[in-house]
Amino acid sequence: MSRRFDIQYVFEFIPKLLAYLNITLLIVGSSIVLGLLIGLIVALPRLYNTPVLKRLSQLYVSFFRGTPILIQLFLVYYGLPEVLGWIHIDVSRLAVLYFVIATYALNSGAFISEMIRASVAAVDRGQIEAAHSIGMSGYQTFTRVIAPQALGISIPLFGNLVIGNLKDTSLAFTLGVMEMTGRSQTLGTATQHFIETYIALSLIYFVISFGLEKGFQWMERYVNRFDGHRSEQMLRASWRRPLRAVPLLGKGGKSG
Amino acid sequence: MIQLSGLSKTFGTQQVLKEIDLTVDKGEVVVILGPSGSGKTTMLRCINYLERPDAGEVRIGHLAVQGKHPSRRDIHQLRQRTAMVFQQYNLFKHRTALENVMEGLTVVQRIPRSEAREISARMLEKVGLGSKLDHYPGQLSGGQQQRVGIARALALNPEVILFDEPTSALDPELVGEVLEVIRRIAREGITMIVVTHEMGFARDVANRVVFMDGGIIVEEGQPEEIFQRPREERTRQFLQRIMPEPNYSI
Repeated sequence: MSRRFDIQYVFEFIPKLLAYLNITLLIVGSSIVLGLLIGLIVALPRLYNTPVLKRLSQLYVSFFRGTPILIQLFLVYYGLPEVLGWIHIDVSRLAVLYFVIATYALNSGAFISEMIRASVAAVDRGQIEAAHSIGMSGYQTFTRVIAPQALGISIPLFGNLVIGNLKDTSLAFTLGVMEMTGRSQTLGTATQHFIETYIALSLIYFVISFGLEKGFQWMERYVNRFDGHRSEQMLRASWRRPLRAVPLLGKGGKSG
Repeated sequence: MIQLSGLSKTFGTQQVLKEIDLTVDKGEVVVILGPSGSGKTTMLRCINYLERPDAGEVRIGHLAVQGKHPSRRDIHQLRQRTAMVFQQYNLFKHRTALENVMEGLTVVQRIPRSEAREISARMLEKVGLGSKLDHYPGQLSGGQQQRVGIARALALNPEVILFDEPTSALDPELVGEVLEVIRRIAREGITMIVVTHEMGFARDVANRVVFMDGGIIVEEGQPEEIFQRPREERTRQFLQRIMPEPNYSI
């Protein structure tokens, strides 16, 4: 039986949970950085249409998109030491946290590779031809024409991924990692004030997600500042003044 | 001098170009006419290898590029000697008008930035956009964007500028300003190959008109010959369809 609801506990729990925020952020941060690396590597064979590797990358992506992350956590935690054991690498004494980070990195990598592929494909074909027509090489075309615009397209997708990843890390406690959600379990059990812990936990996740959302909106507007129409749309959806569309890297002024 | 010989291209089962031969002299303005699907845009795109011909040769000056798989270096050389103006303008949307024009100069021709900036500003001035240097394509009208496209081509100082239906995507009231710019640079003696449906323009500006249909060159000649006394029945039919005899006088 849990005790009667008492709002006081919510405020009391928040700092206690925040003490474990660094673990949550460590999982998010490192898995996103690794995920970007994995995503890029996995996206390449599909961007360059490399025969066999393309199939492998498709298989990888559909596995991680098509299975629940909870199952992936278990598979990596119990399966990976087994598989690496065949090639005589012993990881059984490695901390759980590393397996959790590996799972989230592999999972994000799959989604990030799709994000990269979709963003590159969305860049106007005509501009690529124009770049070729003025004599730019494939590499120059990619770095100077495709990549900057693909970046602008990918930011909202990337924002979604990071926020999704943040919330998914709440599952890490199932393997016994003491991050925020794990801590909320122990707090709840100790005090019998479960509802309060979950409210406190939701508030923390919500505030971080909200902050990330705003951050990514700002970034999207900044990267797409050449696109007057889009930044105007963003103005309506946002609480901050947009940067004016100004040449090069000029910052938006207060006037105007 | 530009010389195409035996240029052939097949898409799927349809042969779009059938051993095209065409020579364009230095300073000449050649207008290509023809119904849609006649192969005129494909031929133009083969000249800078945006489309790879299945067979044939593209020769510009001493550079000859052959067949379907020429070396990367040859294609690069070819593209450095040509420039193209596209139907959909194809400006780099993340760069200002000035940066669009500078791009080829700094990145491909490796001209120092200050000099490239000066050349680009002059070219934009020439197409009447001296006041729009720092505007992004999204802030310009279709006509202005296309004029930036023309400035971008001019700045590269190519041996030939290829125009692929430069006014077809424009609102009717913007066509004039773009044609005016093309007309002006044509008078400067720049070699141009223009695919267009603007008959008035073809008549005024072309040194030579080439009529294509079904992947071959049906007829070519001086504009007055083609427009007033076409030799081939197909040319006659096309011209009649596209500019019927007016039954009124202005």
